Amino acid sequence: MSWIFEKPLVTLSDTKKIESDKVLWEAEDLGGITEDNNRVPVPIVWLVALTVLTAFAITFPLWGQRPTAAIYAEYVQAMDKPEIKAIQSDVAAIERIVAMSQGSQYNAQLERHPVTMDDLRILKPQIEELTKKGVDLKDYTVVGAQVVLANFEGNFRADGSRERQQPWWDKGYTIDIFYLSYFFIFVVLIIKRLPPSTWQPRHGGEHK
Amino acid sequence: MLKYLFAKNEDIPAGSSAIYFGFSSIVWFVIGTGLGSFNAAKLAFPDAFVGGGEFFSFGHMRQVHVHAVIFGWISMAFAMAMMYITPVLGNTKLWSEKLGVWNCTLWNVGLSLGLTVLWAGMTSGREYSDFPWFIDLYLAVAVFIPLAVNVWMTILTRRTQGIYTTNWFFAAATFMVIIVFIVGNLPEFFHLTGLTEAYLTWWFAHNVLGLWITPVAAAIAYYTIPKVTGNPLYSHRIGHLHFWSVVVFYSTPAAHHLMSSPLPEWLKSFASVEGVLILVPAIAFVSNILLTMQGKWNMFVENLEVRFTVTGCLLAIPLNMQGGFQQTRAINWYVHGTGWIVAHAHLALLGFSTFLEGAAVYLGLQTLMKRKLYSLTLGNVHFWMLLIGFSIYWISMTIAGLIQGAGKIYEVPYIDVVIAEHPYMIARWLGGTMVFISNIVWLYNMWMTAREGTVVPAGRMPHEMAYER
Repeated sequence: MSWIFEKPLVTLSDTKKIESDKVLWEAEDLGGITEDNNRVPVPIVWLVALTVLTAFAITFPLWGQRPTAAIYAEYVQAMDKPEIKAIQSDVAAIERIVAMSQGSQYNAQLERHPVTMDDLRILKPQIEELTKKGVDLKDYTVVGAQVVLANFEGNFRADGSRERQQPWWDKGYTIDIFYLSYFFIFVVLIIKRLPPSTWQPRHGGEHK
Repeated sequence: MLKYLFAKNEDIPAGSSAIYFGFSSIVWFVIGTGLGSFNAAKLAFPDAFVGGGEFFSFGHMRQVHVHAVIFGWISMAFAMAMMYITPVLGNTKLWSEKLGVWNCTLWNVGLSLGLTVLWAGMTSGREYSDFPWFIDLYLAVAVFIPLAVNVWMTILTRRTQGIYTTNWFFAAATFMVIIVFIVGNLPEFFHLTGLTEAYLTWWFAHNVLGLWITPVAAAIAYYTIPKVTGNPLYSHRIGHLHFWSVVVFYSTPAAHHLMSSPLPEWLKSFASVEGVLILVPAIAFVSNILLTMQGKWNMFVENLEVRFTVTGCLLAIPLNMQGGFQQTRAINWYVHGTGWIVAHAHLALLGFSTFLEGAAVYLGLQTLMKRKLYSLTLGNVHFWMLLIGFSIYWISMTIAGLIQGAGKIYEVPYIDVVIAEHPYMIARWLGGTMVFISNIVWLYNMWMTAREGTVVPAGRMPHEMAYER
């Protein structure tokens, strides 16, 4: 069971293990079934790599992830300005609020999560209440008509400071990178413990 | 078969439990697709078929159809394959034929009871785990645990040093399905409600597909293709990639069924990435099987079992392309809650899975009964009616789903959507009814094979002999 690391891309097993594996592989009859030792074809490796990239790219939370309360904070503040209060039409009022908030760091998210004045009237007291408490609005999610703590937002140290705050685009992604990495390392280790793919077993006495 | 319930294990002929499971599965397939055809008729011809009391209402009948197909046809065909293939691959006998016969009897009794209570309206109302809690417990204790014991003990008492890929999947799946059944039904045992119930409902539903149906169906193909073609499995290494990626990537995306729910965003994002990554085992599986076919593609035309298996394997491509992407937030927004999902579920269960295990039942019953298939013509009729019927169903429901999605997004009045999709409901009924009729043909063909099939000499496989009819 000893490991060797001289040629890790060829095999991680020592000669003794490889030879015993070869003997077993050729001698054993698994109900008349035999197996070859072909490598994972290069196009398949590329396809798997493409799948991993696609998985992250297509699930990137540009579409559909619920917004945080932080993106509406400026809107809520703007609602109390005399200029906005003076506007009679809700449509005109929200258009003016949006125009006033141009240049906000949340512009891209606000475009994907548009609201009406009626929506803002529901959100306003909740956001103001949270602001009074002094909490970070980026931790709070807008779920329908409610502004709630709806996500694991990281651990706090004993002194009350945050270990790491998840940015809006990374709610569940970092953990996935670790998860995938462990998987691929594990599978590569298993595969590389096999005899090198340059060796093919002989089935029925026929040399390959 | 019932006489073997109280016989000594050594007095029960080898293969008895597999034959019992095989015929039971076909009977449940006929019943399940018959119910499906009836349900589809209610949607296609509502003026003629809606009515008849609560027992024949769609809400009652649909659950009976779904559970008859999943736990009758699919799962019993899997059990048949396990009772037959597991010992063969270990060069040994099944650990206990008696346990297998009891297992099949208790399975048929429990399923009949479960479907009866569903029909009567006693349901948990949780999709795919609609059985009430006492039926869930019964299925775990009397169905899945005995099955796992028999499979595991057969593998542990094998006469080979190694374990072939198929048996990795069988062993893992029989273990995982017990966990899925017990943990997934916790909301019923302990009356969990709200988001916890929703999550565990879809944890169950997702993993019954991902850790039971998908891996076992694939495992069957790993046996059927090398066995019938005589080719070695193309790559033991790809087998590793397939097996471990099923365990790692298929077990985690349950939350992608609830993308619009107030589950934590991190959980949904994580599940969504894993959801796309179900393409990894799919790529590994399809490539390994198709590469194993090298030099034997003539058998795709000539051999019924190979044709069933390769068709199922090819259907894994659209299945996983749909499954991988339809759960992402952007696409789920459009197709969630529409007929698209119904079409996808049938692609998984009636397409991919059914074709793979159909091959195992054909091959296993002929081999164990030592009888050549009674009629190749009827076998071909079964294959083509099944494939065409399924295709009509799948395509029509996919189109209906896209119409429903558009109606949902653009807030079209519901009745207008119902009218727009009516032609596709008729097509759905036609396709489903073709599947139902094809299964009656299959049951007749296998019954006649048992009674009048040409005897296969000892040491020969059925597919090695020419057809006489």
